[in-house]
Formats: sequence, structure tokens, C-alpha cells
Amino acid sequence: MKNILEVKNLNKKYDDFALKNITFDLPKGMIMGFIGENGAGKTTTIKAILNIIKKDSGEIKIFGLDSKRDEGKIKEDIGVVLDDMFYPEILTPNDINNSMKYIYKNWDEKMFNSYLKDFSLNPKQQIKKFSKGMRKKLEIATALAHHPKLLILDEPTSGLDPIARSEIIDIFQDFIQDEECSILLSSHITTDLERIADYITFINDGEIVLSKTCDELLDKYGIVKCREKEFKDINKEDYVKYKKDRYGYEVLVENKRDFKKRYDVEVIDKITLDDLMLLMIKGVK
Amino acid sequence: MRGFMMKDLAMIKSNFKLLAILIIVYAVMGVTDEMDISFILPFMSVMVMISSFSYDEFNKWESYASTFPNGRKNSVRAKYLITILLILLMAVITTVLSLFIAHSKTSSLAYENILLTTLGNIFATIIVLSLMYPIIYKLGIEKARIAIFVTIFGIAIIGGILINYVDLAKFLNVLSPLENYWVFIIIGLGIVFIYTSYRLSLHFLLKKEF
Repeated sequence: MKNILEVKNLNKKYDDFALKNITFDLPKGMIMGFIGENGAGKTTTIKAILNIIKKDSGEIKIFGLDSKRDEGKIKEDIGVVLDDMFYPEILTPNDINNSMKYIYKNWDEKMFNSYLKDFSLNPKQQIKKFSKGMRKKLEIATALAHHPKLLILDEPTSGLDPIARSEIIDIFQDFIQDEECSILLSSHITTDLERIADYITFINDGEIVLSKTCDELLDKYGIVKCREKEFKDINKEDYVKYKKDRYGYEVLVENKRDFKKRYDVEVIDKITLDDLMLLMIKGVK
Repeated sequence: MRGFMMKDLAMIKSNFKLLAILIIVYAVMGVTDEMDISFILPFMSVMVMISSFSYDEFNKWESYASTFPNGRKNSVRAKYLITILLILLMAVITTVLSLFIAHSKTSSLAYENILLTTLGNIFATIIVLSLMYPIIYKLGIEKARIAIFVTIFGIAIIGGILINYVDLAKFLNVLSPLENYWVFIIIGLGIVFIYTSYRLSLHFLLKKEF
């Protein structure tokens, strides 16, 4: 089994939104950044993977097993952090520990308490008395303490300050040292993803726009900044999207080197994931 | 399932003080010959458990729990089991107190009456629970409050109408051959109600999308 997660032609229709043929693979030992604007379908995709919602059609395989048929077995090895979903806030980390040790066969009480200590979380304090950042840390500690093989994280670093984010990212990197483990990480904080993600999957309006290695994206893609006259000389098939503002044109190209060979441009800017998202969503062809 | 029960127990532990106060009130009222409120304790167990649904809903617990191995199934099972255990515990406490009070007042104990009252209280509470839980699982606690009110109000109205139009004495006469089996019938009906209710709740939660 090469891929820890395989999503094939996943469809889910609501009245005002639909996931359309979502397809991507997450190989073992990799971190996949799942990006897209609000309402693009990231959380819906994650919910479908976890069977929180029912898919209309498509195939989801986790650890090579069918996500529905082998649900019980699969979920022993998945750790999750979901946006705004957790233990009721009148409970304490101690209560969570007392509950989780009977829920997961591999629950590691020692590991959980060690995370609580590292994150300076009082085990006897009610969740509602924690700050948003502390609560997120508790959710992450809870997701990690049963030694999962796949982490599915929906905005796990939102609300955290840069130092806390850095700590968490280090933990994710440690987690991935075991090459049997993978992370699917949805986040708006693209700088974090540029730091740790091996793959980027970009979803827009319920459709996967691209799913590539992060290196390939950041190395190959580029932005050409030019004026109208130069832009008109560029063939439509040689760029992905463009955006016009009062200073000129920003043109997203898929292969910087090829583009440079064909056109007389001096500089092609390196791309960031933010640029990519912005041009893909707001740009036109 | 034990993990889910531990979570529910941790949630309702703050309500144990309230139940303890009710036990004292019950004891005092029993000694001073005030009205019979023996139904209060088992009934309050259900009320306490219903408050746990509000916390669950606020923090989208059911959605989070569905990411656990057999999460939805165990979540429903735990709720029913904890509620039944709590009802039984409260019923036992009420019965022991009633027997103790009766014993201190008179030498001839009406054991049978007290035990039948307990059984009746457990049965009535189980009916309330059996009606409420599936509605909560189907609609969520907020919408369920109105639905529960309408259901109970509806039952009261239907009951009222039936009493007016049905000759109760005649009806009881028809049932008189069953007189010696009431205890078993009530226990049997209780089990049927609660099992049907559990299956319905499970069905609703398994179908639910969050």
C-alpha cells in the first residue's frame, strides 16, 4: 500500500453547493496541505472522508480499506482536529483522558499527560476556561495520544500565535518521521504549509484545481508582471490565469523555465501559495 | 462504550449535588407526611441527562464522536445505559428511604405498596425517557424542547378525552384476569419501550449528517 488515503470521484450535492469528482491521493510518510478559500469544500471533503456526512458517490480508501465498510477498524488509527467540534467544554483534560482510554485501544495516557505538560495545560481546568489557542493545543494532544497513523486536521493552527504555531508544526514534523504516518492538513495559514507540506491540494468551488508536490508548485509556477502590450503577445495556452490591476498584469505561468525560453521576460517572480490561491480564484483566463 | 459513559458521568457530576439535595427534601417531606414525591428522583435523573444533551450540542460532540471507532453507536448506548442506571439508583434510594420512614412510623410495613410505587415510578420515567430521547436525536435538543412539550401535552389531552369517553371501571374489569401478572407486564413493557426507543435513537443518529 503506497497511499494512506485515496479519494476517487467523490461527489456530494447540497442545494447551494456540491463537491464535484474530488480525487486525490495522500502517500505514506507525507503531509498534504489542503487549501482553498472559505466555503470551497475543504471541511465538507474532510467530513466525507470521516463519514460525518454521507457521500453521494465515489470511493474513499484509508489504509487500503474501504472507509465505510471498515470504518471501525480504520478509525482506531485516525486522529482528528476539527473546527469547533470537541468534547463538551464543561469537561477537563483529566475527564478527556478518563474517557479516551476506553475509546482507543492504543490510548497513551503518559503521552497525553506529557503533551499537557509541554503545552502548560492544567489537567483539572475546564475546557471553557482555556484560551482559544490552549484549547487548540488540547485538541491536538487528544488527536495524537492514541498513536494514529493518519492525522486529519481542519485548521489546527488557527487562533494560535506564531510561537505556538511553530511548536505545533514541529510536533507534526516529528509525527511524520515515522514513514508509515501521514497528515492531511487544511489550513488558511499558507506560510505554515510552505514550511511543512510535501503535497498541496487546492480546492475551489467544490472542485480540485490541482494536487501536486509542494516543491513542484513553488519551483515551477511563477508570476510574470508585465504591461498590457506585453501581455497581448502571450498566447493563451502559455499561462494559467491572469489578473489586471492599475499597475499592469500579473500572469500565472505553470512552467517558469519554459516560459522564459519562449518569451523575452527578464524576471519571473517566485510564487507563494497565497499568490497561487489568489490568482487561481480571482484571476481570469 | 465505557469511554462514552465516563464522559457522560463527568458531565453530570456537577448535578449530583442537586440530586443529593432532592434526596434530603424527599426524606424530610416523607417524615413530615407531606405529599408523595417519590417520582421526583427518578424523573430528575432523566432531566439531568437531558442537560448533558445541551452541552453536547453546543460543542458539536456527536459530530466529533462520530470520528471515533463505532462512535455513534457507543454514544447512544452510553446515554441510555447511564440514564437507566441513574433512574434505578434513584429508585433504590427512594425505596430504601420510604421503607426506613415507614418503619419508623408504624410497626406494620406496607412493603408491597412501596415497591409497587417504585415500580410505577420507574415505568413512568422510562416512558418519558423513551419518548424524549428519539425526539432529541432526531431534532436536536433545541427543537426537541418544543416537540417534547407538544408530545406530552398531546398525550395528556388524549388521556383526558379517553377518560371521559371510556368506562374506566369496565376497562379495568376487562383487564382483571391479568391482575396477578401486572409486575411482569410492567417490567416487560418497560423493556419493550426502552429497546424500541434505543433502536429509534440509534437509527436517527446513524442517519444524521453534521
